[in-house]
Amino acid sequence: MQKIVEPCKRIENNGNIKILLKGTNIDHVEFELPEIRGFENILIKKKVHDIPRIASRICGLCHASQAIVSNKVIEDMYGITPPSQSIILRRILLIGELIKSHIMHYFFQSFPDLLKIINFYEISNPYELMQFDPQLTSSVFDLIKLGSEIDKIFGGRYVHLITCISGGVIYKPSQLNINLIRKLLQKGSSHAKYLIGNFIKLFSTKTPPISFDLPKINYLGLSNHGFYDRYKGKIVIKNYKNQLYFSEKDYQSYFNKDIGIFGVTFHQNNNIGLITGPIAREKINQISVIERIAPYFKTINENWNNSILFQNFLELIEVDHEIHQCLKLLNDDSLNKCYDLPDLGEIQKSEGIGVVEAPRGLLMHHYKIDQNESVIQAKLFIATEINIPLMNFMTLQYARNLYKKEAIDKVKKKIAQMIRAFDPCISCATH
Amino acid sequence: MELKILIISMTSCSGCISTLFSLDIFPQFFEKTKIAYFPFITDEEKLDIYDIALIEGCITQESQIRLIQEVRRAAKKVYSLGSCAAFGGIINLSKKKEGEPLSNYIEVDGIIPGCPPPSSLFGNCLINLLENKMIKLSNKNQCYSCPLRDGLDYEYKTKITDLIPNNRDFNSTQNPKCFLTRGILCLGPVTREGCENKCIIRGMPCEGCLGSPSKSLYSNIYNFLSLLNLSDDLKTYKGIFYRYSKPLLIKR
Repeated sequence: MQKIVEPCKRIENNGNIKILLKGTNIDHVEFELPEIRGFENILIKKKVHDIPRIASRICGLCHASQAIVSNKVIEDMYGITPPSQSIILRRILLIGELIKSHIMHYFFQSFPDLLKIINFYEISNPYELMQFDPQLTSSVFDLIKLGSEIDKIFGGRYVHLITCISGGVIYKPSQLNINLIRKLLQKGSSHAKYLIGNFIKLFSTKTPPISFDLPKINYLGLSNHGFYDRYKGKIVIKNYKNQLYFSEKDYQSYFNKDIGIFGVTFHQNNNIGLITGPIAREKINQISVIERIAPYFKTINENWNNSILFQNFLELIEVDHEIHQCLKLLNDDSLNKCYDLPDLGEIQKSEGIGVVEAPRGLLMHHYKIDQNESVIQAKLFIATEINIPLMNFMTLQYARNLYKKEAIDKVKKKIAQMIRAFDPCISCATH
Repeated sequence: MELKILIISMTSCSGCISTLFSLDIFPQFFEKTKIAYFPFITDEEKLDIYDIALIEGCITQESQIRLIQEVRRAAKKVYSLGSCAAFGGIINLSKKKEGEPLSNYIEVDGIIPGCPPPSSLFGNCLINLLENKMIKLSNKNQCYSCPLRDGLDYEYKTKITDLIPNNRDFNSTQNPKCFLTRGILCLGPVTREGCENKCIIRGMPCEGCLGSPSKSLYSNIYNFLSLLNLSDDLKTYKGIFYRYSKPLLIKR
């Protein structure tokens, strides 16, 4: 058996493509993570109040999701609810994070692949990419800046926010800052529209390769009574005929994990048949039916609907949708009212669970603490960890088919494109 | 002539690279240099020759040592980007893992510290690099520029019992006072300034992510600890005085 290991480029952080060749066949393909950093271990014996600052450091792209979900766990243990102003601020911080994360992935990592796969147009470096459509590039930089500025103004800095604490957000936005972000969002809305239009112009009438089609799978995500909501809702596992709704408190009836070992185990479904992230959010909550968004979907060749490459389009749609959500949140009266943060008081229960939807999908933390309010067990459920088995399954099928007619070097390059379409977050996954 | 740049990650959260994309100067930095090797956005497979290398993350594996040694040979200047690369970083809170700073294995030409590096400091460092100047970091501590500092004399009489303020403190309309006088641990006295006191201004104490202003972290922390009146609980709490720089303390 011959083993080939090669770094996968244009992804967040480091990961390898591992291929095992047996004779003239590909026996195994795996996206190999360099190591597990051990945050489930790092959190042990830490005081609950200290946890969110450390948890944020799991990921520099999904930092707001990690900090906010961590605070939700602590609030669950103390039995407190943040004031409505803080909940709005947390939603805004999650939006800032998503805009930046999705746009960085779409433009720098996936867009050159789309051009290559769909339009057979080769882009060989970031400078060629930036010159491909200067207006697109300028919109991309402006949108990255928009996401960044939202988190800097409301969260205190671009990455690893200062203001997210248990009980709420320590920031009372000034009218000046609200107006500034509103202006940036309005501009951002036209940039998002340009990016979506650009996608439609370049790709909508074409058919993505069938190899990128998803098998029959289950979709995992949050749903707030059937609506798209990344802060609050029930967990949903949906397939073409059934859907299960359950509270995060009951997750152990449906899935679980071993601490310190990579991977989440789903009791009813095998992991290969499960995806979380933009595709799952769309299948569960259907933002495509929203009046303002529906026309975009009507222009897309329906062969895209079941392709992992459709995730790229959905990222742009989510950016557009969340910009509009953010504009609504800025007009919410609660944002201007002065609310006191609740006193944490006495701890109510020795374990807590929190869930949000990070840009790449469902994110859940579960902590147990002792009588000194120190963590004795931490379980972190990460979106990329959930998606990797499906990604490995699809890349294996793809590689086997390619290897019948192409050299291994080309196979490696092509399966890297599929990996990038999944947008793996390695920092999160190597928690 | 445009500078040829390499940017890579070791063991990290990618937060320093994420911050790089957010900087006001990033589009110009991109245009004015030639970012030739940056696996986050380029496909380049082999190392070439570079003017500047920025390395994020700490060293946790043998293969990373070989890689940074190769980078050292390939780049005229090598900079540690962020506190993991500069001091080892937060992974050292783990009992099972150790993350070492780059300087344990290669000579670095400078550090851009912080978790993540503060935007103004990071932006200024990039400008300096573009102008072929050395990175200058302050050797003063956080207290020097702290808005909560009242007078020059510290009296560490208050028993330090908490890691962060109580939520009641955030609701108070009174002007906040120095964290240490309120019984909250603040690492400001032993931490380099350079972040415009971002955490402190937002109401949170300094965690020490910019590292020590003096070369001797050990004597710094030791002196600070000897002055503090810590609660029994905090005396045994691990990781608060060296959250981002434990390897430097051990190396002593």
